[in-house]
Amino acid sequence: MSVTQVKRIAISDSPWPWLLPLVSLLVVFTIYPLIYNIWLSFHEFVPRKRALVFVGFANWVQLWHDTRFWGALGVTFVYFTIALVCEIVLGMAVALLLDAELPGFGALRAVLSMTLVIPPAIAGMMFLLMEDPQFGVLTYFLNMLGLLDKATPILATSSLALAGVLVAEIWQWTPFMVLIFMAGLRSLPPEPYEAAMIDGASSLQMFRRLTLPMMSRVIAVAVLLRGIDLFRVFDYVFVMTSGGPGTSTYSLSLYAWQQTFSFLKWGYGATLSLVSLAIVMILANLFIRAFKVRW
Amino acid sequence: MKDSVRKQYLASITDKFVRGQLGRREFLRAAGKLGLGAGALGMGFGNRPFGAFSSARAAEELTPNPEILKWLADVGKPFAGTTLKLATESTPPSNAINGQLKKYFEEATGIKVEIEVLPLEQVLQKLTLDVASNLGTYDLYYIDQSWAASFSQDVFDPREQYSAKADLAMPNYNLDDFLPALVDGIAKYEDRWVGVPYDIPIFIMIYRKDIYDKLSLKAPETIEELYTNSKIITDEMGPKVYGTTGQMKSGHYSLECDWTAWLWGHGGSIFGPDGKFTGNDEKGVAALEYWTKLKATMPPGVDGWTWDGQGQSVAQGVAASMLSWGEFFPYFDDPTQTKVSGLCEVAVPPRAMSLRTVKETGYGEIPGVGHQGGSSLAVSRYSKSPDAAWIFMQWATCADTQALITTLGGGTGPTRASVYDDPRVLAQARVGAGTTRHLPVVRETIAKHMGSEPDLPEWAQLSSDTIPVSLGKYFAGSYGSPKEALDDIAKQVGEVLKG
Repeated sequence: MSVTQVKRIAISDSPWPWLLPLVSLLVVFTIYPLIYNIWLSFHEFVPRKRALVFVGFANWVQLWHDTRFWGALGVTFVYFTIALVCEIVLGMAVALLLDAELPGFGALRAVLSMTLVIPPAIAGMMFLLMEDPQFGVLTYFLNMLGLLDKATPILATSSLALAGVLVAEIWQWTPFMVLIFMAGLRSLPPEPYEAAMIDGASSLQMFRRLTLPMMSRVIAVAVLLRGIDLFRVFDYVFVMTSGGPGTSTYSLSLYAWQQTFSFLKWGYGATLSLVSLAIVMILANLFIRAFKVRW
Repeated sequence: MKDSVRKQYLASITDKFVRGQLGRREFLRAAGKLGLGAGALGMGFGNRPFGAFSSARAAEELTPNPEILKWLADVGKPFAGTTLKLATESTPPSNAINGQLKKYFEEATGIKVEIEVLPLEQVLQKLTLDVASNLGTYDLYYIDQSWAASFSQDVFDPREQYSAKADLAMPNYNLDDFLPALVDGIAKYEDRWVGVPYDIPIFIMIYRKDIYDKLSLKAPETIEELYTNSKIITDEMGPKVYGTTGQMKSGHYSLECDWTAWLWGHGGSIFGPDGKFTGNDEKGVAALEYWTKLKATMPPGVDGWTWDGQGQSVAQGVAASMLSWGEFFPYFDDPTQTKVSGLCEVAVPPRAMSLRTVKETGYGEIPGVGHQGGSSLAVSRYSKSPDAAWIFMQWATCADTQALITTLGGGTGPTRASVYDDPRVLAQARVGAGTTRHLPVVRETIAKHMGSEPDLPEWAQLSSDTIPVSLGKYFAGSYGSPKEALDDIAKQVGEVLKG
């Protein structure tokens, strides 16, 4: 390519020369794997034959009869809903508290954001130890408060295991919500609050009538970002319960991983991943439309 | 001097030296009489607590036999510059070779060895991809015993390799030295050897002698006695100390390992000769009922532990016994790591109530309370350098290297008979880190009490998911009775086998 040609491209109005590197990356790392995944979902790896065999819609049909899939989907939805609600409520409460410029709160904000640098698998290991019935500090306090019998292992009890995993999730990701909400709170205009104060509005009224409506887009973005992440939950359940006891904490991602890598059912694993992707896309789009989220 | 007398003499002077009863000069003089230096004897110089080898010291002082290094240099010359690849689980042999021994092989031969240490399921994934694509990415395969059926046609039978390539055959490699029970249980599928036995973690009985003595108990000889002892300890010392412990994490392979020990111990089996699941028959139900009873004597956290948690519960003094992998024992004896160094003893697994024969089971299942979880090492048929890989494999599994692995890596039982009598191995049979004092029990367990899982391609799914998930549900109270849980497992196993 001559110098003149390069110059012509540099001053061209066409966006393609500039977008090409990014588009190439997208094609290589996103579009191709997605297409391959779709292709894979119509095949199955047969260990005896050492080959991928075309199975048509068998993997998709299998989904309907697979009770493990429906169970994992249910667990994922429950996990998603509880974690999201707790993280929003707690995140907003802490953000409102930290928004007050009191001495020491700066340091507290820094400490809060530290949880985000811990890899989820490590956080899961921490809580695994903290919830151990023998050595766990969390179990010890719950026992001391009379809330838990010492002989009850949280992560090995069907009714408690999901709550045990959610504690780790909420502990680690609530600070993320706090950071987003604080950024939003800091950007709110002071005038409406001054007017409301002159009118004698209470703090609760100001929160309901001013803060929440003005923060709605920030909240929506936070929900979207966290929601997508929550739907893919893997690390905590893998480390803390392996999906157990039984299947009471089995998430969709864990199930897809297990089918793909443990049992070498690559086709079915790909199908499960695509279903997960489709659900996230549908929910995200519905949410974006319903709450008019602007990016 | 007769070989047995020579070995005895070596062990005796080594023992005296390590205990400080023999000075360095006297020791060297005594060793010199045999024409051996300290390096060849694998002995260190210095004082160590309990006379045990620390890994760091051992790494410096235990070196391969010079004759073997010379053979490697001669036979490996044409292959200098080759790179061999092996994907393996993190096991004592692989870790010792990777961390401390392969440098000797590489220096002698000029062949580079790359060892990928991965979780077991990833090893399976990599091997499957390799054979499916015939890429030959890996020259050597680490084959878990449960995969022997799947990979039997993808590897060279070592007996054929040994006889077909006389110029590459290691002198005195001696295939007959591999323990026959391990060849049958780990490496053999139908009439082929799928590699040679490489490591052998196996269930043995480990118990706290001090607690047993205090309560006037003796090592459990029967399964029922194990329960009685455990109940006495839990009643007397709980909740500080519990009678026994387990690896009972729902959905984990470890739970299946525990299950098979009790199932086989009650005269049951996983499969019948017709290939149908029989774990839900009368014996199977009795085994699960027993296990439920036994669980009540275990620490509450046992439902959340794999073998790591189980081992820690003994190491930290919470549990007084366990029927589990013998390779934990050297760790328990390490005073820098545990509270129980010198307090634990070993015994063969409690006697089974009755045992089915191999003919009464399916897919080559071998009933026995000493559950075995070993693996083989084999040369891939798709390797681009099968001859170089075969040289490495012979070196990695020869008696000298196995003795070094046992003394450096600690823990796992050797797969060769001669290594159990090796003076370097015998010299470490004392209380302390890296002890080998449990190995006679391991050897006896292999010979008389070993249980081996069935060989079928679906076994990976059944043993790591179907069975342990349902057992986890059972212990979490999701089934009404043991029979209901086992019938459900039978139904699921049937569906998996149907495909």
